[in-house]
Amino acid sequence: MEKFYLAATSNTPEVDFDFPQRRLSLKGESYPESAAAFYGDILTKTAEFLQTLDQEKIDVSVQLLYFNSSSTKMLFSFFEMLYQAAEAGNAVILDWYHDVDDETILEFGLELAEDFPSIEFHAHAVE
Amino acid sequence: MTEHDTPIAPPCFPGLAENLIFFYAGYFSQNIINAIGDAVRLRMEQSEASSSVRRKIFSTFIEMAQNIVHYSSDALTPPDQATLEMRAGSVMVTHADGRFYILCANPVDAEFAEQLKPLLDPLRVMTTEQIKNAYRQTLRSSDSSENSKGSGLGFLTIAKDSSAPLEYGFTPAAHGMLMFTLKATI
Repeated sequence: MEKFYLAATSNTPEVDFDFPQRRLSLKGESYPESAAAFYGDILTKTAEFLQTLDQEKIDVSVQLLYFNSSSTKMLFSFFEMLYQAAEAGNAVILDWYHDVDDETILEFGLELAEDFPSIEFHAHAVE
Repeated sequence: MTEHDTPIAPPCFPGLAENLIFFYAGYFSQNIINAIGDAVRLRMEQSEASSSVRRKIFSTFIEMAQNIVHYSSDALTPPDQATLEMRAGSVMVTHADGRFYILCANPVDAEFAEQLKPLLDPLRVMTTEQIKNAYRQTLRSSDSSENSKGSGLGFLTIAKDSSAPLEYGFTPAAHGMLMFTLKATI
């Protein structure tokens, strides 16, 4: 599968999904007018990619400064897909970056870790 | 002390100026939200609010402003247009007695008002813990029928960041509409 890349905008994150290298990265802001429209393509491509994997390692890096409620919903679906891939025998490593003062984003990450225990979760506080 | 240490009160109506941090009334689109979101962030950086409070204010502001874009009954764009919408409302941020208040207003029709009440009434009587649990449940429910743009999770997000129950109301407005107002305390 080819790489999937979207440059960041003021209200959408940089999406750098290097499928050949098994590295998926989201970075920036996320409050588009329609999160369903923005994340629709991303989720479809991720689902296709995950189906091709068998006993592989996937590195996921999430460095979001802010995400609105509808993005939160879409992100949750994204992590649910990764969890299923992990349950199917792949090693999914999630590096979760949050501002040192941002308990909301840290809390969301910790909830993901609790809900999806087969994803290897690492929280990183950024100064 | 430099002259920048004393913020200059923004232009405002008499009586509101001293507590006002931000006020916008008019048409909202995603582009306008991007621009005024920047202004709200910069304005908050100059306030004495902690970074945690600033984030909550910004998040509440975005949820309210996007609700206006999605649900105000006063739309410049056709009702069936789902993107690049432009709809009317207002958002205000004020600061008094150590608390921040974020208010929004937009017209809605009577039918939509009836849909909002059952979303908002339970939030007003829930404890912080109950709000967190309801948020967790809504996030995990695959029920996308609630309404496609997800205002249920939006109100829960606002309630989760609030330090007092949300206040809301409907008052008669022009063209048989109701003016919906919502107030969050942080």
